[in-house]
Amino acid sequence: MKLSENEIRKITYETIEELGTNVSQEVIKEAVRKKIESMDNFTFAKNNESSGRVILTSFGLNKPGIVAAITTALGNFNCDIQDLSQRIIGDFFTIIMIIDISTSQKDLKEIQDEMRKTAEELNIKIYLQHEDVFRFMHRI
Amino acid sequence: MNYEFTEILETIRMTEIEHFDIRTVTLGISLRDCHDRNLEITKEKIYDKILRYGKNHVKNAKEIEAQYGISIANKRVSVTPISIPFDSLSMEEYIEIAKTLDKAAEDIGIDYIAGFSALVQKGMTRGEEELIKAIPFALSQTKRVCSSVNIGSTKAGINMDAINLMSEVIKKTAELTKDKDSIGCAKLVVFANAVEDNPFVAGAFHGVSEPEVVLNVGISGPGVVLDAIREAGKVDLQNLSEVIKKTIFKITRAGELIGRKVAEKNGVPFGIVDISLAPTPAEGDSIADILKAMGVEDVGAPGTTAALAMLNDSVKKAGLMASSSVGGMSGAFIPVSEDMGMIRAVQAGNLSLEKLEAMTAVCSVGLDMIAIPGDTPASTIAGIIADEAAIGIINDKTTAVRIIPAYGKKVGEMVDYGGLLGLAPVMEVRTISSQNFVSRGGRIPAPMRSLTN
Repeated sequence: MKLSENEIRKITYETIEELGTNVSQEVIKEAVRKKIESMDNFTFAKNNESSGRVILTSFGLNKPGIVAAITTALGNFNCDIQDLSQRIIGDFFTIIMIIDISTSQKDLKEIQDEMRKTAEELNIKIYLQHEDVFRFMHRI
Repeated sequence: MNYEFTEILETIRMTEIEHFDIRTVTLGISLRDCHDRNLEITKEKIYDKILRYGKNHVKNAKEIEAQYGISIANKRVSVTPISIPFDSLSMEEYIEIAKTLDKAAEDIGIDYIAGFSALVQKGMTRGEEELIKAIPFALSQTKRVCSSVNIGSTKAGINMDAINLMSEVIKKTAELTKDKDSIGCAKLVVFANAVEDNPFVAGAFHGVSEPEVVLNVGISGPGVVLDAIREAGKVDLQNLSEVIKKTIFKITRAGELIGRKVAEKNGVPFGIVDISLAPTPAEGDSIADILKAMGVEDVGAPGTTAALAMLNDSVKKAGLMASSSVGGMSGAFIPVSEDMGMIRAVQAGNLSLEKLEAMTAVCSVGLDMIAIPGDTPASTIAGIIADEAAIGIINDKTTAVRIIPAYGKKVGEMVDYGGLLGLAPVMEVRTISSQNFVSRGGRIPAPMRSLTN
């Protein structure tokens, strides 16, 4: 959470009022820091801001080189894979990845376009969707 | 991982296989400040305003679509009921306004613009009468304009004079658009208890109590509910209701997210989510199939109304929990032409107009997209509208009639519009007369329900 300078000033004044004028600067500084931190926690609990994460889902007929192809493409875009999970059922595979694209120089649309090519080459399906849609649907 | 494997796959299945989509993102724009004593300037003001707010509507919606992987089927615009800001115009001038709306819609790249409307439940102003008379010409001379007229409300009763006028208007519209299976009537809705924030065209308009501009979302997903019910197997009705609610909850959440994001991108306030199960002619995207999956042999079988009532109610309950801005109709739509299951039920002789009417008492709207023989007298259409309006005002719910007296066609023949409007078999209407009742005119007084103060 970002606080404006004015907001920080206001919190400082309130803290000084609470502690009185007899305390040292360090004590006030510490108290203000704690206050801001606790506000951070509070807003974190209610946080509804969206993240820079997307969820990649891929499925199709299993064959060698699929994970390699996908991760190479993502690596080229500087995307950070934060989690990866895979299942094989019969001849079919399903891969789900959580990727942080905020480190990438490309936006979601460009990455989607590029992954579409990868999907066509391998004859598999690849979907990239912003994490929020899953959060909204499956988390209250 | 933050999400279960199954959760992620469930979402993918909904969007990719079960036709879950955002049916419409509808930008409501107030035109109340667009009146000028010079008609040309009025038209210019209307055009400019729609372009100012709407020019990036389609582009923004498409971007959000890609970002979240949920398709948005329609991007549309609704405007203030035209008769309100422009009450001083004549019939010819109203037709000009309709053409302006059509042009603006074309230029921002949308398929329909709704709000060529009048609210006359208690009585008509001179301007409202002119607008109603202009409707057949407006709808036959434009492609994108949709019209609606509210002829009754729980608070005001039913305006029979307006109904009589509207039944003539419907007949005339059918005649003027006879080359295209009377398609004009598919863009014309007669309401009782119309809602001001309905995002679903053709009946949408930007109500007078709405802000300058607002974005409303209509979500849909009969296919998702259908699969959930099939998967649930043989469970009792309480459990079935749970299954429906859980599914609707999820799609409403997604709908609200998409709506808020599109609104944010357009820089306009977010209005409401309308969680309506709206079918499309696509296979599996059908309310009739849901009712059959619930257990009736076909739509029209005894028990259909009860099944629909439960479906409609479960949809509302789940929506209320999922979003704090539920509005519009929110329930299950039962149009005939847009639902392959309904079409088949009519063709098989299982579903009659009378059963459909009973179903409208518990669905979210009314008699929707129903083709009837072209030679049906106006007084019979007036009777149908009056019946539907009575169900609406007595039960304090919205009802609507979107009926197509298919010009030159007889029972059993088909009208075919293609696309989302679909195709409809011409249904049988009873030939006994309503003439002496409807021609009394005047107004059916407001019911007991209106006296709540």
